[in-house]
Amino acid sequence: MIVYIARRMVTAVFMLLAIAFVTIALFFGASKDPARAMCGKPCPPETRAKVSAYMQTDQSAVWQYTEFVKGLFVGRTYGEGAQQVHCDAPCFGYSFPNRSDVTTLIAERLPVTLSLALGAAVLCLVVGIGLGALSAIRKGGIVDRFSTGFAMFGLSVPTFLVGLLVVQVFGFMLNALPYSGFVSFSESPTDWAWHLIGPWMVLSFILAAGYIRVTRTQLLNELSADHLVAMTARGASTRQVNRHAVRGVMVPVAAMFALDVTALLGGSVIAERVFSLHGLGDLLLSAVNEADLSIVVGVTLFSAFLIIVGNLIADLLMPLLDPRIRRA
Amino acid sequence: MPDPVLQVEDLCVSFTSGGVTADVVRDLSVSLDGGRTLAVVGESGSGKTITGRAIMRLLPRGASARGRIVVAGREMLSADERELRRARGFDVAMVFQDSMSALSPYLDVGAHIAQAVRLHNPSVTRRAARARAVEMLDRVGIPEPADAVRRFPHEFSGGMRQRAMIAMALVNRPALLIADEPTTALDVTVQAQILALLRELQREYGMAMLLISHDFGVVGSAADDVLVLYAGRQAEYGSLRDIFDQPAHPYTAGLRAATPRLDARLHTGGERTRLRAIPGAPTSLRDAGPGCAFAPRCGLADQVGERCVVEAPLPTVRPTSEGGGLHLAACHLDRLPAPQEVAR
Repeated sequence: MIVYIARRMVTAVFMLLAIAFVTIALFFGASKDPARAMCGKPCPPETRAKVSAYMQTDQSAVWQYTEFVKGLFVGRTYGEGAQQVHCDAPCFGYSFPNRSDVTTLIAERLPVTLSLALGAAVLCLVVGIGLGALSAIRKGGIVDRFSTGFAMFGLSVPTFLVGLLVVQVFGFMLNALPYSGFVSFSESPTDWAWHLIGPWMVLSFILAAGYIRVTRTQLLNELSADHLVAMTARGASTRQVNRHAVRGVMVPVAAMFALDVTALLGGSVIAERVFSLHGLGDLLLSAVNEADLSIVVGVTLFSAFLIIVGNLIADLLMPLLDPRIRRA
Repeated sequence: MPDPVLQVEDLCVSFTSGGVTADVVRDLSVSLDGGRTLAVVGESGSGKTITGRAIMRLLPRGASARGRIVVAGREMLSADERELRRARGFDVAMVFQDSMSALSPYLDVGAHIAQAVRLHNPSVTRRAARARAVEMLDRVGIPEPADAVRRFPHEFSGGMRQRAMIAMALVNRPALLIADEPTTALDVTVQAQILALLRELQREYGMAMLLISHDFGVVGSAADDVLVLYAGRQAEYGSLRDIFDQPAHPYTAGLRAATPRLDARLHTGGERTRLRAIPGAPTSLRDAGPGCAFAPRCGLADQVGERCVVEAPLPTVRPTSEGGGLHLAACHLDRLPAPQEVAR
């Protein structure tokens, strides 16, 4: 087991290094010049060259990559004299437009995205599994018909549209929810939740659809399964049997959730934009617009790291839930 | 004479779907003493499995049972949920056909058996129940039971799984075992082993066994009495010998003729013979008319005429061989002609 985890960790490190390289290469393949955005208007060519040299973006992608990897271990220094900035190890790059190193920026923005993603995850699991289970138990009933339609809608409507609808209906028309802003949890937990209800609804609305469908199908399968009839035949009560049926539902739900870590991060980019939340997604989006290489690489790597960890956890959890996928 | 372990009186099971009700079992009466094996035979859809499930009150949604079922002195059809739970797995246990799907993929084999123990005896500790599971696995002939108890169903072979299921069913020493096609999913050599094991344990525990099967070979090697069902109705009931040697119902005779025999050529003087099939397919239970359900497929219906179509035959007493016990058949013909003429 420990060997397995260690092996996965080593693989993950190499994967992240590869992702960093691809991101840097892609960035330099694009026609945008980071120095152009920094030097302001008007921008004479010689100033631009100077800025470019200062930001070290005048070098090749391969050079950038080696510097980046080196920076992870020993830190990185840009410029000289009064203009010199230093980024301590582990250095994920320095953002000149923000005048801050990327690690600090990510740490600053992380609570927002984490609040958003975790809340949405909880909400979509509760709603998805709850509605799915209810529809399976009363198949063909009102809840079933409602949630099937709901799931269909959730799967087919794009996130930004749902986001705009929620802002429009709850924020402006009903004036029931705040339509922008973020209050940190430590400041006021109630305000924190109050400001996030909208974004949570948007994100989980899209994701819950999948859980409704999977839970419903799987539970229907389980409820008619022979091994549950056999369990009743052994003398188990309906409650004990139902509790056992949940086991079978947890497996695909856990597998799906691991994959949805990606969707949560991706969805939060859009949700953050719609609700003007300054989280990681917002950071990444503006970094792309401002051609801020360091942030793009940093946030991409961080997201990739989260996804890899999510998948690793799912892979470790799965054999515990279902002995059939235990390795011999 | 002690009361029979299983007593079924006028059992009717009907399914209702879309406002239409169909009887899948009708007017079934049978009784079974401890230590004896009753085989229930018939084609798919004849109501064998449903009868077994009805005894344990394990009917699927939409099915309802009327009549009377008494297992070890307990009225099953009027029992409440608590009483049923006490009876299931304790007075009456079941061995299922498909051991792969009847065992939970999420529990190891020991957990299944331990669960059966603890459900009926909560004072037994987990550890003691596991120990009981090891003992029971050993009893049903699983090698290295202390190790096997921790294995999962998918790690067992089909025969081993079926042994484990027998261990699970018998751990509480039920008075009645319902074995629903226990050997159908197994290959022939394993089939024989499992049947022998069932017989052996039955003798040891003195339990009654209801053996549901469509295979006359299995029936012949394990049953004391045989109940032949056709379209949910009792076609014939009798001792194994009577059913095999002097069937009184054309359907029974047809089933016998449709059973392949290795020694067939000896009987025909070395000539190749074709296996006989009963023509046609079982009648739909929904549009059952007033007559005999088997009449449309019966080669002898012509000999009786009109009566087969308008009147359903009731089981009547038939001659028995020496020491044969009760022999009933539901046919308008008093005697069947020689076997060759039965199946056209």
